[in-house]
Amino acid sequence: MSQKKYGIVLDAKNCLNCKACTVACKFENGVEVGDEQYRIWVAEKDLKGTYPNLRLDFEPSQCQHCENTPCASVCPTSATYKTDEGVVLIDYKKCIICKACMTACPYDARFVSEVHHAIEKCTFCYHRLPEGREPACVETCPTKVRVFGDLNDPNSKAAKLLAKHDTYQLKPEKNTRPRLFYIIK
Amino acid sequence: MSAHDTETKQGMVSAIKSLITFNKDIPVMPLIIIGLVLAGIGAVTAVVVLVKGHEAMYAVNREVPWGMLIGTYAYFVITSTGLAFIGGLGHAFGFENFAKIGRRIVVLATLVLLAGFTQILMELGHPVRMIIWMMLSPNFAAPILWMGVFYSIELVILALELYYAFKAHPTEKDHKTAAMLGFAAMVVGTLATSNLGFVFGSLTARPWLYGVHFPLFLVVSGITAGAALLMLVHNIAYKFSIPEEYKPSMDALAKLMGGGIGIMMLMYLWKFLTSIFTQPIGSYESAMALIAGPLAANFWIGEMLLAVIIPLVILLTAKGSTKKYGIAGLIFMIGLYFTRVNYIVAGQMPVMRKATDGSGVHADLSGLGIYSPSIAEWGIFLLGIGVAMVLYFSAEKFLDLKTPEHH
Amino acid sequence: MTLSGMNISRRKFLAASGGVVATGLVAANLSTLKAVAGGHASAPTGEKGEKHIASSCEMCVNKCGFFAHVVDGRLKKLNPNPKFFKSRAMLCARGNAGAEEPYNPERLTKPLLRVGERGEGKWKEISYEEAFKLVAEKLKEFKVKNENRCSVAFASSEGFQEEIFQYLVQSYGSTNTVRHPTLCLSSVIQGWSSVYGVYPDADLKNSKFVIMFGANRAEAIVTPDTIDFVKYKPEGAKLIYLDPRFTNTAAKADKWFPVKPGTDLAFVLGVINVIIKEKLYDAAFVEQFCDGFADLEAMIAPHTPEWAEKECEIPAVEIRWVAREFAKAAPAAVAYPGRRTSWYVNDVYFRRACAILTAICGCWDAPGGICPKASVPIKNLDPLFPYFEMSDDRIDVASTVKNKLPKDKRSENMPTDSVAYLGEKDGSWLRFRDAIIAQDPYPVEAMIVYKQNFIEAVPNRAKTMEMLKKIKFMAVIDIQMTEVAYFADLVIPESTYLERWDSVHNLAGIWPIATFRQPVVEPVFGTKSMFEIAGGIINEMLKLPELWDDADELEVEDFKYDVVEDIFGKPMEEYIKRQLADHPGAYEQMMKEGVFYLSDQAVYGKTRNPEFRFKTRTGKIELANVKYADKGLNPLPIYAAPRQPEPGKYRMILGRHGFNTHTGTQNNEYLWEIQKENVIWINTQEAKKLGVVSGDYVTVKSSVGEQQVKVFSTEKIRKDCVFFAHGYGRLSPQLSLVYKKGASQAAILEDYLEPISGNAAMHETFVTIAKA
Repeated sequence: MSQKKYGIVLDAKNCLNCKACTVACKFENGVEVGDEQYRIWVAEKDLKGTYPNLRLDFEPSQCQHCENTPCASVCPTSATYKTDEGVVLIDYKKCIICKACMTACPYDARFVSEVHHAIEKCTFCYHRLPEGREPACVETCPTKVRVFGDLNDPNSKAAKLLAKHDTYQLKPEKNTRPRLFYIIK
Repeated sequence: MSAHDTETKQGMVSAIKSLITFNKDIPVMPLIIIGLVLAGIGAVTAVVVLVKGHEAMYAVNREVPWGMLIGTYAYFVITSTGLAFIGGLGHAFGFENFAKIGRRIVVLATLVLLAGFTQILMELGHPVRMIIWMMLSPNFAAPILWMGVFYSIELVILALELYYAFKAHPTEKDHKTAAMLGFAAMVVGTLATSNLGFVFGSLTARPWLYGVHFPLFLVVSGITAGAALLMLVHNIAYKFSIPEEYKPSMDALAKLMGGGIGIMMLMYLWKFLTSIFTQPIGSYESAMALIAGPLAANFWIGEMLLAVIIPLVILLTAKGSTKKYGIAGLIFMIGLYFTRVNYIVAGQMPVMRKATDGSGVHADLSGLGIYSPSIAEWGIFLLGIGVAMVLYFSAEKFLDLKTPEHH
Repeated sequence: MTLSGMNISRRKFLAASGGVVATGLVAANLSTLKAVAGGHASAPTGEKGEKHIASSCEMCVNKCGFFAHVVDGRLKKLNPNPKFFKSRAMLCARGNAGAEEPYNPERLTKPLLRVGERGEGKWKEISYEEAFKLVAEKLKEFKVKNENRCSVAFASSEGFQEEIFQYLVQSYGSTNTVRHPTLCLSSVIQGWSSVYGVYPDADLKNSKFVIMFGANRAEAIVTPDTIDFVKYKPEGAKLIYLDPRFTNTAAKADKWFPVKPGTDLAFVLGVINVIIKEKLYDAAFVEQFCDGFADLEAMIAPHTPEWAEKECEIPAVEIRWVAREFAKAAPAAVAYPGRRTSWYVNDVYFRRACAILTAICGCWDAPGGICPKASVPIKNLDPLFPYFEMSDDRIDVASTVKNKLPKDKRSENMPTDSVAYLGEKDGSWLRFRDAIIAQDPYPVEAMIVYKQNFIEAVPNRAKTMEMLKKIKFMAVIDIQMTEVAYFADLVIPESTYLERWDSVHNLAGIWPIATFRQPVVEPVFGTKSMFEIAGGIINEMLKLPELWDDADELEVEDFKYDVVEDIFGKPMEEYIKRQLADHPGAYEQMMKEGVFYLSDQAVYGKTRNPEFRFKTRTGKIELANVKYADKGLNPLPIYAAPRQPEPGKYRMILGRHGFNTHTGTQNNEYLWEIQKENVIWINTQEAKKLGVVSGDYVTVKSSVGEQQVKVFSTEKIRKDCVFFAHGYGRLSPQLSLVYKKGASQAAILEDYLEPISGNAAMHETFVTIAKA
């Protein structure tokens, strides 16, 4: 069993909503152009206030690589599985597209891939990790909003950020225990 | 080929031949033809879907991944297990009124289940892979795996029941076996149905679907549907003039159906109250989508009027008219279809993420997911209805579904 | 309800229909679609294996470094180059989407000769050789006919091969070149240069107090500023942002002031007033380096914050606060120069005011302030070209056509029939066009265009089409069927930046770096680079003696040796080697790492030296510009209130965004899917008055045109202006993703001129809006 625990710490206040990450993801992972074909996204939060007192925030996100993994729990063929490092992956050849995982995911992180004819989602660019390369979204970001790393390694940048800052997670009430942490302050 | 083999084969052929009749007085030829037309349309649709791919043909989408086909599948297979339940009451628990129509029940249950399978075959992206990988790398935690297991066992039990139902000279032992099988069909069927409910009830992400309501509601509404469908097919088989000998059976079915609707109403009451009272996240949006949202017409007309109010009123005012039972059954079966699809779609309408700019989420102005079945989905629905009609009415036409007296 | 086949992707659709059309029309050799790519083309090489090749981006002007990940001869992905410190090792959406450019299904693949009417879209495929011969013949034809090489104009846009295009221009000898700056940044260059002699950069990485005026850095990406103003913003630093729109930059700002359009100058004057009146300025710096302070002091006296508030609608108390904070943070304070500043008729004065504010607080050439750009020493080959007799002055200089100026006080004392500081190679697009239409003082009858889509870039599209009527022959070199290509007579496809060699370029700035380009894939469709195209055309020109009869024979001989043989006769690698010859190992480093630099650290203070002479008349930082006075311009940035839209009208304002560059990238699927159509921003209350809601279509109408566009009703904009993004509502059917989708800016913008630098004044147009 690996001691590694991969995760991403995000400093969304630095996000410019430039979509570099979403386009990078599409090329790196061969995701087709298409309204529903996306692994990651940058959502504009609702505009707060009225002219001229306004506030606008952005929230980049993707598969949360939950420790308590509803998508894997409902997958009848074990096509969705978790690696030792806690990365949630899909074995395309086992996927029967029953879409149970899509309904089970509280983050709408999954979609039917027109390329693989299977359910697809963010893999933390698992194929890059052995080469020591960061996920494409992390690497390409102008302001490096996402910081990827081994949360079990106290010397990793991600672990240090996590130790230093208050963070929030998406939908904690679902008890999915996501591996994505958003810095509050 | 040895002489013995030949003999055996001839024996089997004659046995099968003995089963085949041609019931001139059963007026189902037009229904078989309609069924063939519908199944034909469905088959053409299926071919187009297989060529062009599900993504291009179905309207289900990222926000609402399960649509009409899952609803149709549930409609059929749950009705089937409801029928098996009623059959079990007859065989295993000595409800003579149901045992009297045992053959029809088991035939109907089997064929409706098969019709249901057409839907899941056309809904799943890779049905063949399913069979392989459910065996090679099963996930025993997954409700869908158990759905496969239970419905497979149910199909086997129904096949055995069929065998005994049509056995030419049943012995006392056969009756006991049939009773055991009936009991097994009841238990497995109930597990299958409630587990299908759990496929939805396990989804913590979808508050409307999550919880104990749906597994139980499916069992109750499935038995109700079984009763309704039996009253309908008997009316068709006997040209809306059911012989006196079956009157007690029909009365019993009517009571079962009326009682079923009653329990359904009770479940509706608390499901909606718990979903609306203090506006719990997710289930409130689903409930409102049904009551006053995009599904309101389906809900009020289809689900409430056709599947609850009208059948109940008819049953309460039927005064023993089996014809009215049949009409109530027909209306209920139409309404129940909306019930099935509505529930599943409503549960997925509250989107998992707010549909703001850049979120990628598609939603209507009220923030709900968007789904309206495509032509192809209607086509596959017709495939299911057509197959069910052709199979069952052919059975009426070419098999003797009158349960022989055995006491 | 989804109908069958609706979800088939466009790519698949094109692949299918392209095939059908091709077979149908090949016989006639008249295909509109045949010469575009159609479907996925794979690399012709059939090579196997993975490579990571260093090169640089051309999706916008920043030229960020990347490593191209090539798998089996096909480009898979562009990854940011970690050593490319100018862009802080990033690659934006466009940079990433660039990986689709070589394979774009609507790429131009073969030279096309027009056979139908202009704009009819009927073409005949010809070879590159035929195309080169034709261009040379036409160059000869107009030179002979008009006895003036200037009768052929050359339009080009910024890029690494633009210098090669200029070699072609100089080989022909026309002075009529027209470039992008007067649609963009010529006024900010002029404004800052008029004070410091140079156009400097801002050190946002170290600045404690930044004022940005409409420079939407969060969306209009300029490296490294876009990264620095957010990621490296020092602890406690403040960003003040003035813009009529609440952009993503406003979302990142500490304070957003929705300034009344055209009055930013009043705000800056108010700030300067406080700083001088409260003696917050850097007196020592002013004393040592600046000239004209007394004049400034006298001029600024009436411009109190209270006065400014009335003009710009920013509270006086805020102006005071900004002034004091700015002075407190100095020299680590920035009045951000900006880039696309083609805003108002008096834009140069506004930019001057920002430069003056910077100067009096001593925020010059110091960490966190405004700094002159530094360079990496790269050798420019600067070859000599023959001098041709049959040439003339630039038409926008020689012509006496009147400048179109808005009718208000700002236009007083502005040049009326000339541009005060016209860039020699840049020209001034609006005067250029007017002069061609007027044929004043001579006819321009042909144009050679290199990747400048002026139909969609220059305000008043109808007028551009009028100009094209005077152009008897137009050849366009580009990678896609832009509008200019679509209305051309000859279209020559170029290789994309991922398929060609580009020479080394120094990217000047506070952190200077040099980069280049090498092919990461072989040209997918066998296209040629500008280098090969220019070389090919020049070779054909040499075969026509009429083209050389007005030049000195010896000069022509030298030219043949220095340019034709020594540059065009050798591969571009040789050119690159010569550029880097002074630095041993630099070529190898460039090939491997895609960058060359001497240091990745900023150097400050070189010009804060009493001996240093600024490139101004006085050699000092000119708060009052001496030459301006000579030219009859105001030596100081005098304010006059801009005219405002009459009731029922709105001011059209523009702004860039990070999803598309100008009009050049919209037909890339990966960018198109981010923003499929532009929308017009209308203030919520105004939308209510107009009776429209988001999603409705409205007709936007100015005096020069009208467009239909979808409404975005929002709190994020002032009530007196409207905005929509660039690059939509296109005329070329072969930009199918945006063809007739949304609205074109060029179609409704009126062509007002800022006559000091010759920039277009693109925020002077008033429009009416009505439900469509």
